[in-house]
Amino acid sequence: MVRRFFQLFTVIFGVLVLTFLLIHLVPGDPVEVMLGESASLADRAALRAQLGLNQPLLSQFGHYVNQLAHGDLGQSIQTKMPIVDLFKTRYPASIQLALLAMVIGLLIGVPLGIYAALKAGQWQDLVVTLISVRLAAMPVFWLGPILMLVFAVWLGWLPVSGMGEPAAIMLPALTLGLGLSAILTRMTRTSLLEVLNEDFIRTARAKGLSERTVVMRHALRAALLPIVTIVGLQMGSLLAGTVITETIFSWDGVGRLLVDSIEKRDYPVTQACVLAVALSYVLINFATDMVYRFVDPRMRLARD
Amino acid sequence: MRFIRLTCVLCFLLLSACQRPVADGAIHFAIAQAPISLDPRYATDAASERVNRLIYQRLVAFDAQSKPVPGMATWQRLSPIHYRFTLQAGLPPFHHGRPVTAVDVVATYQSLLALKDSPHAAEYDNIQRVRLINPLVLDFELKAADSDFPARLMMGILPQDLIEQHHDFAHQPVGSGGFAFYAWQQQLTLQRVSDQQLVTLVEVKDPTVRVLKLMRGEVDLLQGDLPPELVQYLQKQAHLLVKTTKGTNFSYLGLNLQDPLLSQLRVRQAIMHAIDRQAIIKQVMVDQTRLAEVILPPEHYAGHAGLTHASYRPAFSKQLLQSAGITLPLKLVYKTSTDAQRVRLATILQAQMAKAGIDLEIRSLDWGTFFAEIKQGNFQLYGLTWVGVRTPEIYRQVFGSEWMPPQGFNRGRYVDAALDALLGAQDWLAITKRIHAQLPYIPLWYEGQVAVMQKNMSGYAPHADGNWDDLAMIQRSATIAHDAD
Repeated sequence: MVRRFFQLFTVIFGVLVLTFLLIHLVPGDPVEVMLGESASLADRAALRAQLGLNQPLLSQFGHYVNQLAHGDLGQSIQTKMPIVDLFKTRYPASIQLALLAMVIGLLIGVPLGIYAALKAGQWQDLVVTLISVRLAAMPVFWLGPILMLVFAVWLGWLPVSGMGEPAAIMLPALTLGLGLSAILTRMTRTSLLEVLNEDFIRTARAKGLSERTVVMRHALRAALLPIVTIVGLQMGSLLAGTVITETIFSWDGVGRLLVDSIEKRDYPVTQACVLAVALSYVLINFATDMVYRFVDPRMRLARD
Repeated sequence: MRFIRLTCVLCFLLLSACQRPVADGAIHFAIAQAPISLDPRYATDAASERVNRLIYQRLVAFDAQSKPVPGMATWQRLSPIHYRFTLQAGLPPFHHGRPVTAVDVVATYQSLLALKDSPHAAEYDNIQRVRLINPLVLDFELKAADSDFPARLMMGILPQDLIEQHHDFAHQPVGSGGFAFYAWQQQLTLQRVSDQQLVTLVEVKDPTVRVLKLMRGEVDLLQGDLPPELVQYLQKQAHLLVKTTKGTNFSYLGLNLQDPLLSQLRVRQAIMHAIDRQAIIKQVMVDQTRLAEVILPPEHYAGHAGLTHASYRPAFSKQLLQSAGITLPLKLVYKTSTDAQRVRLATILQAQMAKAGIDLEIRSLDWGTFFAEIKQGNFQLYGLTWVGVRTPEIYRQVFGSEWMPPQGFNRGRYVDAALDALLGAQDWLAITKRIHAQLPYIPLWYEGQVAVMQKNMSGYAPHADGNWDDLAMIQRSATIAHDAD
């Protein structure tokens, strides 16, 4: 556990250093964005000093880390709002979207994967494979508007975009969830097919257990490990903010905040967003490891 | 069985969430970019400027020829460096109830002059002093003579009491314009002072999504930032009304005039003749887009209607390049943003220029990087648009040799002593002729403006500079409007 925390700390610190360096190395700075081209050199210098951008990079980084250590993410250079306040609305929005997308992905992907594995080699397997490959190949900037056209404009069931109504989350979640379900279908099918050929499954069948019990209680549990891995990785990237989906659906999540801040060279917001994203990834990975121990007793034994 | 039950519950939840657009009485306006700051002292982006025009009043306004005319006040030039402004009678009060007086005007401009982080501070750098004469009259004293000074006074006027309290105008604006601030969470809502009508500005970045929202009735109106094929599609929709008008926003190709190739006039002329602007306008621009020759359009008081249009002659372009001693193909790098329409235009330019022996390499960069590279002079060619230009002062700022970055807009680093002399004399006719002949920019077009609305909306039409001033008059009627033009 101590080793895990040390790894976590190292990753976060590495992300901090890299983000800080990269954002300060790309062309353009917030003073140029804020003051425009007609500002005098004196005014630029004054604002640069006010924002602390005239300090050496190392000193700026030290100040930033010190600020973080005191739990202060700073404030946006552009909007002058505390970054914590921005996160209070943006992060829950990303979490909601990620969770619902994951639920949709799991509800569609895992049953379809099981079905395809049980019908392996038959026409049903082919149909499921075709659908999942198609879904995986569809980019969200295409799938999103198609879903809008069908469910919002033609059928009139759901709002096109925005966050004004509770139902507005359905289409972005469906857009993300369908893509995810395709991956999960493929993974579940492959994993389950492997397990179904194992000796312990043959033994279970020989004991006279029903096919349903064999599949759901014995085979699926053994096949879950790679699925959990994929779910963990995908959840991490969903929480990192799905920039294109959030932009298309006007969903004010972390992804949109990050892109906007990069465009405006709003250094503190960019750094805070990347930090949040990195933390999400690390924590999700940590949680995935915990789930491994639950799903596969061999891991518990190995570590114990 | 459990799975089927779960699916049924999910479907029920899904369907129970389904609903038609909410009819809250507000007029919903979909915009491509939300405003960043509603404090006019800090606002620079187009959306903020357009919203601030609705919330705040200004000392001057502009007529059809872009000449300054009285807005909140009339003015007298007491001397070349001394202007007196007198507030008009019957000005509407501030939205928090206080009457508007010259004290507020003085406080607004004094606060602006004191700010070090305002992007507008440099524009008012020539003001020596702002002096209150009486509650209706104030004086501006300048450091140097400026005959265009009244045209610069476009800053929205803030209430003095709130300036003193360091009120957060950026997020909770208080002005005396036709619209009062109402709310700003995920969308900005303004309330029309005259009849309390709410107008909600909804940010929807993707043009296709904006159109879908209009089709479904989630929004009532959208304006600009639409590719022409979507406009054509909307024109065929029976329940929608499409209105277009001529625009004044100037699109151009910027050139790095310190580049040894592009510093040659013949090369610039070759590029000019290598672009089939008419074909681009016809095929990929919205209606009412027209050819441009210089920054200000012909109808502007400093415009020039007699400038000839350069025609598309790729063979002549080749000759010009060869006569300049250039071995074909001429390799040039064109930088642009990642905006889909910009990238599309870049590919068209690339194809057209290829016929003239110009091998155009396109580099599409994120906005921040792209603009930083332009300002640093790290480019050969780039494409941009000047938006909302009012005064001929722009020629001095863009082509004057003393306006080189980092303190000016002369991004191409153009140096022309003859033009500098003309700029000093403010001979706008001669200036435009000189610019047209020397081609420090390759002029493209003034893009037409388009607004699309539900047919039951009336009283709204797009304006040449893309402002949203007609929100002051827009109405939703129970019956369908028939004021299409």
